[in-house]
Amino acid sequence: MKLPQKGFLLVTLSQHQSLWDYELINQAIAEYGLKGNYWINHFSIALDELASAGLITRIGHRLDDGSFIARDRLQFEFALSDFGRERMFDTGLLDSNASSGEFIND
Amino acid sequence: MSSISLDKALHNHFQRSQRWGFTWALWTAVLWGAWYVPGTAMWYEEPFVSINNGDHGMRLAATAVMTWIHAVVVLLFLVIWNGMLGKLKDYGRTIMRFRRISKWYALASLCGGPMAIFGSYMAMGYVGPVFAAITSLFYPVVGALIARLWYHEKISGRAALGMAIIIMGGVVIYGPGLFGEIDISENYAWLGYVGGIMSAIGWGAEGAVASRAMDVTDPDVGIQCRFSFEILFWGVLVLPMIFLLTDLPIVTLLVDMLTSQMVMIWMVLASICHAYCYTAFYKSFSLIGVGRGEAIGNLYGVFAVIFVMVFTLDLPEWYFVVGLILTVTGSFVMFREPAENISTLREVET
Repeated sequence: MKLPQKGFLLVTLSQHQSLWDYELINQAIAEYGLKGNYWINHFSIALDELASAGLITRIGHRLDDGSFIARDRLQFEFALSDFGRERMFDTGLLDSNASSGEFIND
Repeated sequence: MSSISLDKALHNHFQRSQRWGFTWALWTAVLWGAWYVPGTAMWYEEPFVSINNGDHGMRLAATAVMTWIHAVVVLLFLVIWNGMLGKLKDYGRTIMRFRRISKWYALASLCGGPMAIFGSYMAMGYVGPVFAAITSLFYPVVGALIARLWYHEKISGRAALGMAIIIMGGVVIYGPGLFGEIDISENYAWLGYVGGIMSAIGWGAEGAVASRAMDVTDPDVGIQCRFSFEILFWGVLVLPMIFLLTDLPIVTLLVDMLTSQMVMIWMVLASICHAYCYTAFYKSFSLIGVGRGEAIGNLYGVFAVIFVMVFTLDLPEWYFVVGLILTVTGSFVMFREPAENISTLREVET
């Protein structure tokens, strides 16, 4: 069974030092077979929620020049926080024996 | 060449999140207040209206049956909501991960369902409805404290001040009604006080407990999980236990309610309010935090009086205006916190 969508965003981010939001959104859209602006906004909000809760950290930002999602859209670069990693262990999204990127099914 | 500066775009982004968070919290209060009209009207229909005020066992059994049917109808409206948002598959993925994730929604439903509702009913039954309303007003303090101690949610001085003013406003609205309600010679009054504490702790803890799972799951999906578990608690545990261990007519109550057209009309209206009130409640937590979300949600006390006034055409007492001014002031104190301050809600190691 696939991961809950927010869980997928966390697991994807845990496999990289950092990722830009459009990279995470594109991977999520491909994973769940979705398309359209609605889902781009949906995953953007999910990333905002993860950042508000402190699971991921905004380490960079810039304006889209139109080559990624939309011109003048604010883009964020995210990295997983220590707290996010801890919460991923708690919720089984990361295996405590693995350094990163491995998740277990519950 | 970009049409807006990066700093301005960043500020706009955080302000938008903050506004959406407070808007969802305000919708919680509006719908919660609206819920009181059908929620109270139900008690004036059969079979409730025939139950003697002193018959506590029967009243509790009727409340349990009513709460269960209510939770089932709420779930139907949540299924419609998540169906329209395309989130039903994510609901399946989330609820199946019980041991690590959705168990927190189960615990949240236990706090907000059986504990808070039952507690509130004890407070109503053994002390009075005004006392029950006032004790419930303190639930944001419990929620903020748990969120602060458990996962270091940032509660700024401004947020705490706003919360205190809102609670004070609620106490001004309902407080004067307490005189004449509290009877210290009543032997079982302590049960009501315990119930009041249970409701404040139950509703307060619910937000903090649910947020534990919402960290890694969608709030719309989370609320559907929470009500799925509430249905199980009442339907598989509480009602069968009452049926097996007491002589109370659970089946008759169930049939009477389901076949009463007026009860079901009120039930559907109450459930629409409750379903989307709770949806807004959970969505606000992830944007402005449990403490702020619950504090703004506390404005339900004001909206309940307004909705009752609209439907009964009975004007509230003069002190309602004082309470209204206080609650609105408290909300603005909270809302005027810089948006950048709440772009990260917790003090965590990065």
